[in-house]
Amino acid sequence: MSTPKRPFLWLMGGSAGSFTPVRRFVQQVPYLEEVAIVLCLHRMRNPRVGMIEAFGQVERWKLLEPDDKAAVQGGHIYLAPADYHLLVEEEGYMSLSVEEPVHYSRPSIDVLFESVVRARWPYAGAALLSGANRDGAAGLHLMHQAGHFTAVQDLTDAEIPTMPQAALDLFEPTRRFRAAELVQVFLHAVSLYK
Amino acid sequence: MLAEILPEVSDAQLERFFQVMLTQYGMDFREYAPASLKRRIGSVMRRYGLTDADTLIQRLVTQPEYFERFLNEITVSTTELFRDPSMWVALRVQVLPQFVSLPQLRIWQAGVSTGEEALSLAILLSETGLYEKAQIIATDIDKRSLEQAAKVSYPLRQRALYEQNFYAVLPGVPFSRYAEEKEGQLVFDPQLLRNVQFLPHNLVMDSPFGQFELVMCRNVLIYFTPSLQDRVVTKLVDSLVPGGVLVIGTKESLFWCQAAKRLTGVNEAERIYRKRA
Repeated sequence: MSTPKRPFLWLMGGSAGSFTPVRRFVQQVPYLEEVAIVLCLHRMRNPRVGMIEAFGQVERWKLLEPDDKAAVQGGHIYLAPADYHLLVEEEGYMSLSVEEPVHYSRPSIDVLFESVVRARWPYAGAALLSGANRDGAAGLHLMHQAGHFTAVQDLTDAEIPTMPQAALDLFEPTRRFRAAELVQVFLHAVSLYK
Repeated sequence: MLAEILPEVSDAQLERFFQVMLTQYGMDFREYAPASLKRRIGSVMRRYGLTDADTLIQRLVTQPEYFERFLNEITVSTTELFRDPSMWVALRVQVLPQFVSLPQLRIWQAGVSTGEEALSLAILLSETGLYEKAQIIATDIDKRSLEQAAKVSYPLRQRALYEQNFYAVLPGVPFSRYAEEKEGQLVFDPQLLRNVQFLPHNLVMDSPFGQFELVMCRNVLIYFTPSLQDRVVTKLVDSLVPGGVLVIGTKESLFWCQAAKRLTGVNEAERIYRKRA
């Protein structure tokens, strides 16, 4: 059986201090139909209250919170729903889970990043932004070890550097970046797989 | 190995795990969504300090008494009183009134875990005057969770969340009508279980067992592959009387399911559906 073509998967994880740069990224990122973006941001557990709307106007991309088992499609930006882990499956869809929080977080960035590696997703990259705990660091390291492009927000640029620092304690990523360079970093990562 | 990353389970090990569970315990995990299943197995391994899934599989082969505990540990038991309050409000406003004129109200709650879903429904039925004619069958694959459910006793740290959800669904009703602190636990009125029967039931392997006016199965389907979701939803819909109501989890979808054709939306945002007559 032939494997259907998978979109390039760009993952972004962040917690406190990450929403503003991620929002700016979402508003500025040029549309690419062969790329799917997944955002995993720590957020209040009260579901379905305005998070999508908070991103403002998004050009061309479809921005949504995926339902369980939604296919990973290019041209889409997926936001991990509040109080669910989001996992990418080898078959090309996303699963949600309410299993225990990781680093007190559900959704957990580690769970998302780790799932992409376990799913042997062929083309992926990930960025870890500002945050006040260690979630995402180990998962990003795993992605790096699997040969994916990894990027960590510069410690002097991150509003709260605990999360990027936790990653840098483990490994040196492909790239360190300032929030203003996020779109550029993304385009560079995508260009490596073309 | 990094502490945050769970031990890995290879495809070959997963295959052996499936075989042992199926042949020795009659449990079919082959169509569980793999990403989460592997995480759950990995998390049990970490808890027991195992680094090789073969050791775990061997333990399951040689120590049948270990199985029940293992099943309890890989089953996701996350639940809470009135989880997703807006769904419970929609149930109260849009669904329960249709049951008022019925002589009896048969309800199946599948995957009740430690019982909070059953208590939520029992409280809602009490407050709407429907409890006395209701018969609630509350099932779960995991017997240990059901034993816990029967105790109606929960850690006190849950109180703030449960109370907050309770008031979002039933503003003006005192929480103390149904729950009190006792010996460091949050204990619910055992009378709420008068019409509730807890039964072990495996949604994957077992047949449906009756006809119901209301079937609730929330955050169970997410652990299944699309094809298994399709089969399980068929069982759930088969268990409804015409005009009966199905409730699934807030982020679950009937997208893959043939049986969806036999349903219409009552409140699609809250994932509440009615079986066509």
